[in-house]
Amino acid sequence: MLAYIARRLLWVVVLLLVVSAVTFVIFYALPTADPAVLRAGKQPTPELVASIRHTLGLDKPIYAQYWIYMKKIVLHFDFGYSYQNSQPVARELFHRLPATISLTVGAVVVWLLAGIPVGVLSAVRPRSLLDRFAMGGSLVAISAPVYWLGLVGLFLFSKDIGKVHVFDGAGSYVGITENFGTWFGSLLLPWLVLAASFAAFYARLLRSNLREVLAEDYVRTARAKGLSERRVVLRHALRAAITPIVTILGLDIGILLGGAVLTETVFNIPGIGAYAYDGISNADLPVVQGTVLLATFFIVLANLVVDVLYAALDPRIRYS
Amino acid sequence: MRIRLITPLALAAAAALVAVSGVASGAGSGPNVLPGKGKKGGTLNVQSAETFEHLDPGQSYFQIDYGVIYAVQRPLYSFKPNDPSHAAPDLAAALPKISSSGKTVTIRIRPNVHYSPPVDRAVTSADVKYAIERGFSAVAPSGYAYAYFGDIVGVPKAPTKKVPSISGIQTPNKTTIVFKLKRNFGATLAKALSLPLSVPVPKEYAKQYDAHTPSTYDSDPTKQAFTGPYVISKYSASSGVTLQRNPNWKASTDFRPAYADTIVWKTGGDPAVVGKQVLASKNGLMMDTPSAQLIKSTYQRHRDQITFAPLGSRYVALNTQKGLTKNVNIRKAIIAVTDKVGMNLTRGGSLQGVPGTHFLTPGQPGFAQAGGNKGFGLDYMNTPNGSLKIAQKYMRKAGYPSGRYTGNDELTIVGSKEDPWPATATVFIAGLRKLGFKVALSQVPHSTMYSKFCGVPKQAPNICPSVGWLPDFPDGYANLFVPFDGQAITAANNANWPLLNDPKVNAAVDKAAATANAAARNRAWAKVDRLVSEAAPAVPWQWSRDGLLQGTGVHGVIASWNADWDLAYSYLD
Repeated sequence: MLAYIARRLLWVVVLLLVVSAVTFVIFYALPTADPAVLRAGKQPTPELVASIRHTLGLDKPIYAQYWIYMKKIVLHFDFGYSYQNSQPVARELFHRLPATISLTVGAVVVWLLAGIPVGVLSAVRPRSLLDRFAMGGSLVAISAPVYWLGLVGLFLFSKDIGKVHVFDGAGSYVGITENFGTWFGSLLLPWLVLAASFAAFYARLLRSNLREVLAEDYVRTARAKGLSERRVVLRHALRAAITPIVTILGLDIGILLGGAVLTETVFNIPGIGAYAYDGISNADLPVVQGTVLLATFFIVLANLVVDVLYAALDPRIRYS
Repeated sequence: MRIRLITPLALAAAAALVAVSGVASGAGSGPNVLPGKGKKGGTLNVQSAETFEHLDPGQSYFQIDYGVIYAVQRPLYSFKPNDPSHAAPDLAAALPKISSSGKTVTIRIRPNVHYSPPVDRAVTSADVKYAIERGFSAVAPSGYAYAYFGDIVGVPKAPTKKVPSISGIQTPNKTTIVFKLKRNFGATLAKALSLPLSVPVPKEYAKQYDAHTPSTYDSDPTKQAFTGPYVISKYSASSGVTLQRNPNWKASTDFRPAYADTIVWKTGGDPAVVGKQVLASKNGLMMDTPSAQLIKSTYQRHRDQITFAPLGSRYVALNTQKGLTKNVNIRKAIIAVTDKVGMNLTRGGSLQGVPGTHFLTPGQPGFAQAGGNKGFGLDYMNTPNGSLKIAQKYMRKAGYPSGRYTGNDELTIVGSKEDPWPATATVFIAGLRKLGFKVALSQVPHSTMYSKFCGVPKQAPNICPSVGWLPDFPDGYANLFVPFDGQAITAANNANWPLLNDPKVNAAVDKAAATANAAARNRAWAKVDRLVSEAAPAVPWQWSRDGLLQGTGVHGVIASWNADWDLAYSYLD
């Protein structure tokens, strides 16, 4: 197992290198706007543009630029400076990471707490009123764009601009160490909004998997042995049905840690997603590169964790 | 801010700024409170969906940033909220003395303006010299230094690695600064000294930050030495700033009242949500523009919570050097046929702008001399709904007897694909079709439109329908030189989108730029405006206005030169 993990970690490094190279080529070799020209201001002379290009290191061959960029990251954890506001990108990423982690972890808890019970109940009572209601509702939740849902949530339920004053409004986020109560209150609505479509999707997926598993021979055997239905479902069937969910969960967590762009923007949560959005809007290449690398890191790491968890969940899987 | 969508340089992360003033006809007006009339104390809550770019006065070139800079710093000159046509001495003790040759500008600065802690000492002329020199370095590059300060003797050809010493900026004593210029440009330089580049920076203190490239005087603005009524006490690139009173600021040396004790400015979020939050608040001001829909609904339901400020102009640039649009009569026909009212309707209608009739915008010095709203009486310009008859007259003059284009050439058009530009372009193109033109339209991201097409003469199409201009300070030079003078055409970041290079216009611009007397200068810029209008390089379809929102318990005051709230004048009820 340890050898497997070590091998996978090596692949993580290779993958990060490949992704960084690809994003570098995309954003540096094929820019939608030349960063040197963008920063040159009014009536730039060719000398002025050349000088800025030199300052930004854009006058070097692309492989040299990439080498310098990677060297700075590896040796100094230096992701460069934002073109937009001269802030060090690494520092901004660290400042913003807790907000994104808070949003992700809370949303995961909400969607698992909602999605798994609903999925199980729908599977064990197919075509019941509850099943029909849950699956119909989940279809609506999956179809609703998170951006729209966020705005509707704010306009209906936020304390500042809502019709019914229930949740804290956009822009109220503070760090968990600053004030736990305010932190929790400010994230309640974002958690619900972000979790809605995930919970719905997980419920539908789990229902479908569990229905299949409940028809398996070993489940029939368990019932024949006289085990209670509760034990059959929760101890025998659910364990097998939930394995694909774990795979998706890992990926979803990785993606969200890379930034829940729309949710963070609507609720004005200063996280990685909002940072990525600003970077893209302003052709701020160091910011885009930094957020893409961070997102990639989280996704591949989450993948690794999922693969390891597989072995724990499914006795048939063993790594060598 | 919307500025990003109407000024190309803003897209360069260095948004051009400073708008026109006065109030165009129609709804709303600025309260224009005078010093001493407001109520002191309290916390002003300010919000903007956009985040700050550079709060270092040397690098700042963005409307949102200016909101902070002009509350915490003092440039040599600045504008009172209700008087955008006269730059008032701020750090300067009096108006500048311009030599008869126009090549020397001498300014005396106040001896009793002190920096905030930890610097504490009095500001000297050497601090202003260092501040301007920083703008010509890679340490703190200014987006406009070369455009307005490039004629100073000794300016380096390109930004230097370290802060250069510029021989043409002289400080004979602690309270005098002298600018030596290569040409007769003193009258215009004097106007540009209202820009933040003239905010003093104490060299002995800032050098620890300026040792880095880029300077950390920018990345951690709480470390700056402040001269204005407030200091930046907290800063977060992700969430905003907090301003508190500057203990070393003396009200007796400043015309700004600085009513609020504290100003908390939150950045980020969705503009629609931010706008609603400000409307629901008691002490809030929104520094950027909400959607046209929110502006309209606020105007209908909460008229006392919205104020309109003139915000430059939007126009369709017609390439004067390429293909069909080289012909001045075709350009006049296109201007005449365009349904300018229809185009305005795609951007909020008359609340947010009215069709223009010339290129100096309302409130700008020289606007009245240029005929005000009526303009110069040119028939093709005075067609708000579009006139096929007048357009056909010019098509016939262009050599098309039927009044319609009968050739096979296409008009190439590159517009922005960001809303609502596509709708605006659709209305414009409908006019072209009435004249029989075939069009080849490309719609690209707004920044790409400027950086790859409209701002690059070699790649420029016949028509750029999604452009606009906001002058950096209230003066004809800032309004007309860059967009219409042939000498301003550059290979990249070009903002003379029509590529107009008319010797008569160029000569008139030079003459106006050298004119110091205010009345004569206004007349000179009106003459330039007339020459430009006669050359028909663009369709001035909108003199724009920005709707600014405020809460119920706050009295917002508009800095009309910046088309935004003035934080040093706004107060709580």
